[in-house]
Amino acid sequence: MRRKEKIRRKILAVSLWILSLSILIPLYFAVINSLKDKKEAAMMNLKLPTVWQGAENYVRMAEEGNILQSFVNSCVMTILSVLIIVICSSTMAFILERRGDKLARVLNIFIMIGLVLPVQIIPTYFICNALDISKRAAYICVMAATNLSLCTFLYTGYFKSIPVEIDESACLDGAGPLTMFLKIIFPLTKPVTVTVIIISFMSVWNDFGVSVYFLNNVNLQTLPLTVYNFFGNHNSDWQLVFANVVTATLPVLILYLFLQRYIIDGMVAGSVKS
Amino acid sequence: MYVDKGYKRLKKRRYPYWLAVPGITFFVLFFIIPSVMGLILSLFNMNGYDFSKAVFIGIENYKNAFVLPTMRRAIINSFIFSAVTTFFKVAFGLMLAVMLNQKLKSSNLLRTVFFSPAVVNSIAVGLIFKSLMHPGKGLIDTVLNSVNLEFLAKNWLGDPSLAIYSVSFIEIWKWSGFTMVIFLSGMQAVSSDYYEAAKIDGADGWQKFKYITFPLILPSFNNALIINLVGGLKVFDLVQATTQGGPGTATEVFSTLMYKSFGSGRFGEGCAVAILLSVIIAVFAIPTYAFIEKREVIQ
Repeated sequence: MRRKEKIRRKILAVSLWILSLSILIPLYFAVINSLKDKKEAAMMNLKLPTVWQGAENYVRMAEEGNILQSFVNSCVMTILSVLIIVICSSTMAFILERRGDKLARVLNIFIMIGLVLPVQIIPTYFICNALDISKRAAYICVMAATNLSLCTFLYTGYFKSIPVEIDESACLDGAGPLTMFLKIIFPLTKPVTVTVIIISFMSVWNDFGVSVYFLNNVNLQTLPLTVYNFFGNHNSDWQLVFANVVTATLPVLILYLFLQRYIIDGMVAGSVKS
Repeated sequence: MYVDKGYKRLKKRRYPYWLAVPGITFFVLFFIIPSVMGLILSLFNMNGYDFSKAVFIGIENYKNAFVLPTMRRAIINSFIFSAVTTFFKVAFGLMLAVMLNQKLKSSNLLRTVFFSPAVVNSIAVGLIFKSLMHPGKGLIDTVLNSVNLEFLAKNWLGDPSLAIYSVSFIEIWKWSGFTMVIFLSGMQAVSSDYYEAAKIDGADGWQKFKYITFPLILPSFNNALIINLVGGLKVFDLVQATTQGGPGTATEVFSTLMYKSFGSGRFGEGCAVAILLSVIIAVFAIPTYAFIEKREVIQ
């Protein structure tokens, strides 16, 4: 019986590894073809390159695709958006949850609507024009708005589990609302804050649907946009296209390998709780 | 009464609304106002940025959505895409989760691998598959040809009758692992007592799944279904990266249509498409959720 069970598990593991090839082969395919010359890359196979010219491909791609600038853009946009999302959603959730009055309930209903419905991007574009803010600022604001509902919702659920007595004791010590929130309450939200950071980081870093409206030019573009534009200009240079794909994917993939537990749990928690 | 008032005042002082102002401002300015404005603009015919030239045309834009062939195509495609991808993502996700939920030495590593496409941006995924699906030269056709299945080798993304399913396939590839983790987290919450009891009763694997696992992970099932249905209706980046709605209008969906309306300055039409999408999402998501919620088992 035990032996039979052991064999069954072996077979299961082997079949799962075979299945996982369907994930690994396309990823390997992109990497290996980014190291070939133009002729071999155009053959689109899994063979090892006969001429390794990875360095040349990556340098050329970085120059022609304006990759360095895009990487910096991606970092700046993502960090600022995530920061705004964390600040806005935690404070809003805290006040709305603790107040619980009519205004808070109305706002909560709107936030729930925002969980399901997408942002109306065309009118948002007009509003950003009317506000006369830069394209970068507009993008950050829109990304904040698209993630705000979900993150506020996650914080609200968490604040429910923090007893009001904690606020009370902080207030007895004479702390004002801001001090109480920053010094006492916010540090308690660490688990949910990690989730919020991960969800918003992934959503902004990999975003294309909003950035293509706001940041679609050489100086403003983020990494996913470089991939999109680069292919438009180099659709016969597959070695460069793949070098570009790998470069745009690598930062987040490395992060994923180090923080996989947090990232998987965070992304799933974010979607499941909505 | 007095106490109540005092408590209210205390609440006001302790939890002042100004602390929530940044969040509320962002939300109102970039979500609520645009939604209302979108509703209004969708009733106008606009060509370009000049608002003074906008003409009120009532529900004409919405009517067009059902009359114009391109728009009709887009609506049908969105539904096909959403249904096909949801079905397979849930099926594969569930299958993988059942397999991975057993204690294997490599469980964690396998989970990491299956989940990994979810963190790669869709444009990159789209381009990788554009190459794999290249007619004749791509890896998929090459493999089919080499095992004498030439008749199965197709122009995956270039054949109008096939393209939407090929794009669906890519979406399924990207998100099945994600769906798997949703199920896995549901399964890990199921107490092992149930399985012990079932074992004593002599239940086989399928019975265990049918009578224990599945009813108890129905909330996860519910979530996976909605997330994927809504995600499918909203799809944009993957289509834009692989076919941009083509060939012809073969893979046109809501979001590509919206992007095209925006690009050519037909803002009224674009807003109408966006509002229509929102309405459909709401109509879909809410009853599905309510229906399955009723059938959930309380553990």
